[in-house]
Amino acid sequence: MIRRYLGFLMLRTLARIIWRLFRVAVFVAALVLAAPAVLVAAYAAALAWFLGWPPRHLYRAAAWCLPMLAAWLAAMAAGGQPPPGLAAAPYLAWLAMWHEATAGSYLKAAVTVAPLAIPLGLLAGGLAWSWRIYSMETGSGGLAPSAPAAFDQRQWRHQVRTARARIAAPGSVPLLLRDGSVVAGATIRTVRQPARRLTVIPYPRLRSHQVVLGTTGTGKTTLLLRLWAGFMARGMALHAAGRAPRPLLVVLDCKGGADSRRIADRARRVLRATGAASTAIWPDEASLSLWALPPRQLVSTLADMVESGTGGAAYYADVLEEIVRLAVEAPCGPPGSTADFLSRLDANWLALAYAGVPDGGPAGLLRSSAGHVSDVALRYRALLRRLGGGLDGPGGFGDADAWYCILEGTAEIAVAEAQARALVDLLAWFAAGGAGAGSADGAGVRRDILLAVDEFSAVSRRLPIWQLYERARSLGLAVQVSAQSWPGLAADEDERYRVATTADGGIWLLRTPHPEPVAALAGVRRVVDTTRRLLGVPFWAHEGLSRAEGTPVVDPEIIRGLDVGQAAYIYRGGVTYVQVKRLVAGPAELAGPAGLASPAPGAAAGAPATASAAAGPAAVAAGDPGAARPADVSALLDEAFGEEQ
Amino acid sequence: MSERNVAGLLFTAEMYGVQLDQLAVELGVSEVRARALAARWREQGYADSARLGPGRPWVWLTRAGLLACGLPYRPAPPALARLAHLRAVTAVRIALESAPGYTAAGAHWRGERRLRARMGSRVPLREHLPDGEVHWPDPGETPAGAAVAAPAWAGECWAIEAELTRKTVRRTAAIMTEILTRTGDYGCPAAEVRVPGVAPRHARVLYLCSAAARPTVVRARDALPGALAVRVEIRGLPASAALDAGRAAREAAT
Repeated sequence: MIRRYLGFLMLRTLARIIWRLFRVAVFVAALVLAAPAVLVAAYAAALAWFLGWPPRHLYRAAAWCLPMLAAWLAAMAAGGQPPPGLAAAPYLAWLAMWHEATAGSYLKAAVTVAPLAIPLGLLAGGLAWSWRIYSMETGSGGLAPSAPAAFDQRQWRHQVRTARARIAAPGSVPLLLRDGSVVAGATIRTVRQPARRLTVIPYPRLRSHQVVLGTTGTGKTTLLLRLWAGFMARGMALHAAGRAPRPLLVVLDCKGGADSRRIADRARRVLRATGAASTAIWPDEASLSLWALPPRQLVSTLADMVESGTGGAAYYADVLEEIVRLAVEAPCGPPGSTADFLSRLDANWLALAYAGVPDGGPAGLLRSSAGHVSDVALRYRALLRRLGGGLDGPGGFGDADAWYCILEGTAEIAVAEAQARALVDLLAWFAAGGAGAGSADGAGVRRDILLAVDEFSAVSRRLPIWQLYERARSLGLAVQVSAQSWPGLAADEDERYRVATTADGGIWLLRTPHPEPVAALAGVRRVVDTTRRLLGVPFWAHEGLSRAEGTPVVDPEIIRGLDVGQAAYIYRGGVTYVQVKRLVAGPAELAGPAGLASPAPGAAAGAPATASAAAGPAAVAAGDPGAARPADVSALLDEAFGEEQ
Repeated sequence: MSERNVAGLLFTAEMYGVQLDQLAVELGVSEVRARALAARWREQGYADSARLGPGRPWVWLTRAGLLACGLPYRPAPPALARLAHLRAVTAVRIALESAPGYTAAGAHWRGERRLRARMGSRVPLREHLPDGEVHWPDPGETPAGAAVAAPAWAGECWAIEAELTRKTVRRTAAIMTEILTRTGDYGCPAAEVRVPGVAPRHARVLYLCSAAARPTVVRARDALPGALAVRVEIRGLPASAALDAGRAAREAAT
């Protein structure tokens, strides 16, 4: 009995082996019979693996081959093949291919079957590659437990290599597509977003709020310059077509120092290439007039620029504001300059100015606050002296297509805070349809405004960033906030979340050590996770359990490992990893004769000099504060020493 | 003597001395071939070589070698205290010369040794000499008279500084100012060193810094007036600048 049972087991095992061998033989025979398509499929799948392509690229390639197939069938029909016989054409071509191959005419055989084999092979390769990705993503593929993780890392390297090659190819990454979308760079990988070769940002998203996070040396400036250039180029095109107002870019760089000035110079040259007629660099080369604000707004701005403290000091703040109001709203009209304003902060001047006013209110106010006027004057004299001439005009936001405002937030925080407050108030008034803030454009000229603020939290003590956000939203301004880290985005956690969650234009995340809060905003996605049985050796069996579970859309580990020039663009619960294409700035213009700065066409007298970026040692006199900057040599230094880390 | 031999001898002379791996990179040959070249020079009495520190052996020119090159330098082996610095400067020169923009513009390097030789015994005690100068020729013309494309910085002279160790911010800023405000060539009469109103000699100074020195250099640049600060370029030293870079590369490969 036992012998019979053992015999039965052996027979069953033998039958199974024979069945498996038969299946393998049939499979191999099918592969051999379909050799041309199999070869194309293998090549296509290997290429997709090597280049880190998604299967969609192979399907698209197969679709592009269909005209070839149609032409081939048309040629057959034109050659006398009756329409019913066309159905047998693939079979006949396949047969002819084998005959030619048997006769040794391999090239002829390949040409005969190519119209059929190439699309079929690409399709099969795409399906095979798709299955491979699926099995690895679900954890059901690979020989070792670590295979899916290794596969993912390897594919990331391949995808990065392909993206880098794409941005290195001249002309392959334009700034704008035909539909006006802005191209940020070459796509590395996408999750829950369309898998395109280029990362494309529709223009309306640049007209919405965006957040950019990345530490120093990760390519944040390169990304920002590209986005600004895209905004300007598309905005100018729409304006030229009469479909939108003229764009206006205002950058508040709250770091200051030499680096900010170099970036300003680079921005000017990049923007010039996109059609911006003039880029004003404030306060080095251009000025704005704080005194152009309407009196009520001017009082509020001037009062906020001075730090008054809280508690008992609030009384002093009220006195200060009243004295400023008296000086600004004097019957003779608002002050026109710093000197004019300071001269009014005098008890005698105020008494004379309000002497003829029948209403007794101001007179009483003057009597009660006369003892404080000299203190208030002292504070404003010190503050306005430290602010310099940048806010003393002439000039307004309407005078240029782009403003690069440098606030010395690192060196002089108090001054930078006051400047930030004044600039934001000026821009808000301008956006609300103010009289152009001294613009030559005339009153009420509307502009499509993008306000980009870098490290604004450094100067936002007196103007919380969410206030700026809310105010911008109500005025139709787009705000782009950038910071080096999540804590740098705003003063407290509530503000940070408020800023990040209202970024309806998307969030750009470059390498940063703590990306979790932002990554979490992208949400989770459902993936299938498979557990498989180990056989005692490091190989898996084909038995196990699969279950759906949530995994973060944005992997914080990938963010922490991003290289220079790589970014993750988070939008609507999906993410696109992108290799940003650096914009090469044009050479600086030649300097004009010393002391002569050519204003932009149409600019008002005293408008910012627009073409003073000059090259050459002759223009760069030693120690001359008015000397222009030398040409940008970043591209050459990148060639020699690699991109700046 | 072949062109490669001449180029190698001149390069070695200009840089005080070079390590074999850098000589190989400069001449575009394998290290074995560079070693053979150095051995031949030594046989001919033009050069000497020894293992002076970590990494590959050093090669430097003897009096006969310098005479053969027509260079008026004092023959001496590279000083032990300056080995790391010499290697860093050589790495910077090689990196620059490997950039297509450099060769396309026809730029050329003028090393510290040449500058020092021009000054002779007139180098003042506190005078600072850059580690090198890069000269960018003015745009030329084709035989047909058409202008040849040239970079925006054509006609400029750059000072090169390889910074391995940290100085004080004050000293670094003083050096930057000295370089950027100099108007005369090295070796010129004292009255021409700084002439008000005359264009400065160096359109910019390029600092190649180690990780340790970089913060100081950045702070020094920030301490300069804006017009000078924008003429200071700061980059990291190439990986091959480290004295034991060869060993590190081998370890990474294995």
